[in-house]
Amino acid sequence: MTDSDQSILGNQDPLLNKNTVSNQSRRKFLKQSGLATGGLVLGISLPQTTIAGFKMGEDSSFNPNAFIHIADDGDALIYCGRCEMGQGISTALSAAVADELEADWTRVSIKQGEGNAEKYGPQDTGGSASIRVMYIPMREAGAAAKVMLVAAAAKVWGVSAEECVAENHYVINTNNQQKLSYGDLASLAANESVPASVILKEKKDFKYIGKDIARHNQGDIVIGKLTYGVDTKLPGLRYAAMTHCPVMGGKLKSVDKAAAMQVKGVLDVIEIPRFEVPFGTLGGVAVVADNTWTAQQALKKLKIEWDLGEHQRYDTNVYKAQLVKNVERPAQVASERGDITQAFAEAEHVIKATYTGGHLSHAPMEPNASVVWVQKNSCEVWAATQSPGDIQTVLAQYLERDPKDIYVNVTMAGGAFGRKFKCDYVHEAAVLSQAVNAPVQLIWSREEDMRTGYYHSINAQHIEAAMDKDGNVTGWLHRAAFPAIASLFDPSLDRAPASALGDIDNHPFGIANYRSESGKAIAHTRIGWYRAVYAIFYGFAFGSAVDELAYKTKKDTLSLLTNIYDNNKNPEQAEQVARSKGALVMAAEKSNWANRDKLPNNQGLGIAVHYSFNSYVAMAVRVEAKGDDIKVLEVDVVVDCGQVLNLDSATAQMEGAIVMGMSLSLRTEVVFRNGAVVNSNYHNYPVLRINEMPQVNVYFVENDFKPTGLGEPGLGPFAPALANAVFAASGKRYRDLPFKPMSL
Amino acid sequence: MSQSININDKSYPIDVEADMPLLWFLRDKLELTGTKYGCGMGICGACTVHLDGQAVRSCVMPVSAVAGKTITTIEGLSATGDHPLQKAWLANKVPQCGYCQSGQIMNAASFLATNKTPTSNDIDNAMQGNICRCGTYQRIKQAVSDAADEMYKEA
Repeated sequence: MTDSDQSILGNQDPLLNKNTVSNQSRRKFLKQSGLATGGLVLGISLPQTTIAGFKMGEDSSFNPNAFIHIADDGDALIYCGRCEMGQGISTALSAAVADELEADWTRVSIKQGEGNAEKYGPQDTGGSASIRVMYIPMREAGAAAKVMLVAAAAKVWGVSAEECVAENHYVINTNNQQKLSYGDLASLAANESVPASVILKEKKDFKYIGKDIARHNQGDIVIGKLTYGVDTKLPGLRYAAMTHCPVMGGKLKSVDKAAAMQVKGVLDVIEIPRFEVPFGTLGGVAVVADNTWTAQQALKKLKIEWDLGEHQRYDTNVYKAQLVKNVERPAQVASERGDITQAFAEAEHVIKATYTGGHLSHAPMEPNASVVWVQKNSCEVWAATQSPGDIQTVLAQYLERDPKDIYVNVTMAGGAFGRKFKCDYVHEAAVLSQAVNAPVQLIWSREEDMRTGYYHSINAQHIEAAMDKDGNVTGWLHRAAFPAIASLFDPSLDRAPASALGDIDNHPFGIANYRSESGKAIAHTRIGWYRAVYAIFYGFAFGSAVDELAYKTKKDTLSLLTNIYDNNKNPEQAEQVARSKGALVMAAEKSNWANRDKLPNNQGLGIAVHYSFNSYVAMAVRVEAKGDDIKVLEVDVVVDCGQVLNLDSATAQMEGAIVMGMSLSLRTEVVFRNGAVVNSNYHNYPVLRINEMPQVNVYFVENDFKPTGLGEPGLGPFAPALANAVFAASGKRYRDLPFKPMSL
Repeated sequence: MSQSININDKSYPIDVEADMPLLWFLRDKLELTGTKYGCGMGICGACTVHLDGQAVRSCVMPVSAVAGKTITTIEGLSATGDHPLQKAWLANKVPQCGYCQSGQIMNAASFLATNKTPTSNDIDNAMQGNICRCGTYQRIKQAVSDAADEMYKEA
């Protein structure tokens, strides 16, 4: 039995040179994880990595990202440190481990790791990064465990490891077909040294990777047993409801608690301070009661006066009109190549168009919710979160404790879409727990969730495109104005920084003369990552403008797009060009683009492709449009994300992106008036319902590129493909998201 | 003389304020958390349960109004989790985050009890009160249809 912490994986394979697998201190691990049985425990570590400009991970010490435990009865347990919010990451990554481990999937269970960056490595779950970052290390962990099991079996039989094969939870002696189960071997394997390098499987041998695997928790979901952020129950649990100042930056002036305190079941009314840290609670007033309903009712009886502060005149109608003005005149140059002035001077055709979009609320079905129990010597959290580490950091600061002493149980999130990266709701529960000296469950009402968000940027984008006499797009101006996420950290920002336009600047378009500019846009509310972030409006503006240019010049949009990619001769972007074009052409084939003229009256087909978060997605949307009445009939989606990890969840991500894309294109927009959000619930933030669901067909490009994530890339191409389809059907060009009624 | 309510074949006294919605009685008093809070105004369907077999929105149903009635929640839909809808949900791999799915399944169960041969339009009409923000609608439609086939196939 080994008790060493040696980390040994070597550098032979370039894929392996940054990752470390180690045989964990088993005693320590078992103690930490409460596992009853012995067996083999392996951890896998990753180097520091970054997502979206944030430094992830902690220091250079051993930072395993995953643990595999094989018990003496053969049960395999895989820990997932990345947060699960319905994207299926815990299933997809565990299946990759199981594939290399040659495990029997029916013997594998999956457990969500608690917040612990030292143990699991970076846990912040966003940027469609989990698969990109974790695919190889997770496989290495599985492969290393397999090698150790095989080595243990070979010793038992007195043969060489080469004479043994691992298959479906057994090691087989190829000389005589004797078998030893993983359970029999687990404790023996723990004595084996961790291999210096491992050889990963070839694609043709994959058993689970790329296959259609059901998410591991769906059995619990259909019987109502899966525990979400709203579901934690503890002895002595108190329940809270709270309200925030409706205007960003406002402060509590006074609160009359008397009527609320009279409500039977109310324990206390508590003022929550603002946390002056990134993503900190804005502060507000909460009621703690013996059930959520009572807390919600008593909250309505509070008489609160707010000092609304400097943003109380924020009005999105006025603001959007101003953004349009700001992009229809010169602004600050963000990026430039070639000579755009000359390109326009020599152009045969020019188009100019301005596209706009409103704020969006993530509006996951599960509102912000958590339980926190602050005690004298401990603080335990149960939260639906995308960033357990941030909860640890912020609560440690607030409670003046070590982050390691903040224990975060990561529950299933009932949807998140970027909102639960910011854990203000957990900070609030901690304040309340400390105040009432009991575990407190705080569930934000739907109204509070919608009105105290981190919204997708309201935006305006002005495009000018130039085409030469040979039909090449030779000049392109992309002028964008939107309050940027960076405003959270620097409220004095008067426009999006150049880096925020990088996604459009670096797109693999072959347009020689190009300039992007950032127009003035000061933030008057909190801006946050919303699924796909800026790809939503960059995709919309580019994909729509190309279609407009094609119509104006009587060209086929597909040919024009293809031509734009073909004109990119930058060898560094050759792969991006080929993959963008490949997805686009396949979407055209699947949707019968060539025969779109034969569609019935009032029907139209639109197409677009967008590269975002390292994946390529093309969509062809078929609609029926009569007046402003738009019915989406069918969507063909072609995805190039390299190696698909789980066909089921990859497909589901595209289906979901189309539903969210339809919501934001046709229905939803967060409106501010007098500084506050007007929307309150699903009746005035009408996300898509089942009766509008189109037929969705998802196809994957087969190739050997490394896998990339799919949580977000499905959004970018949808809105432009839809707008283009509607134009083809009705001649109406919608340039504002969500589409507004218009006359021709 | 306290009132009582039958939930999943068990009787419970109603020992809360009369206006407390059934949702919070289930969740906070009985700790039956399979029924979810989504909107609090009966428009998202996450809180759907059966009242004498009929789908209702428990977030807008005062518990006093259902005294003496029979309530079924997702936890009580089938003893072993093998209602044809639950099986169809698994076979079609419907859930993503899964938060709305208790309500979806309960709504569909009530619907299929009265419609044995649902058309696509019937399913749309019956299910449009239930929001799924992850966007699992295409699979929900297929699963409801499959479950109807399973429940009412020729013996």
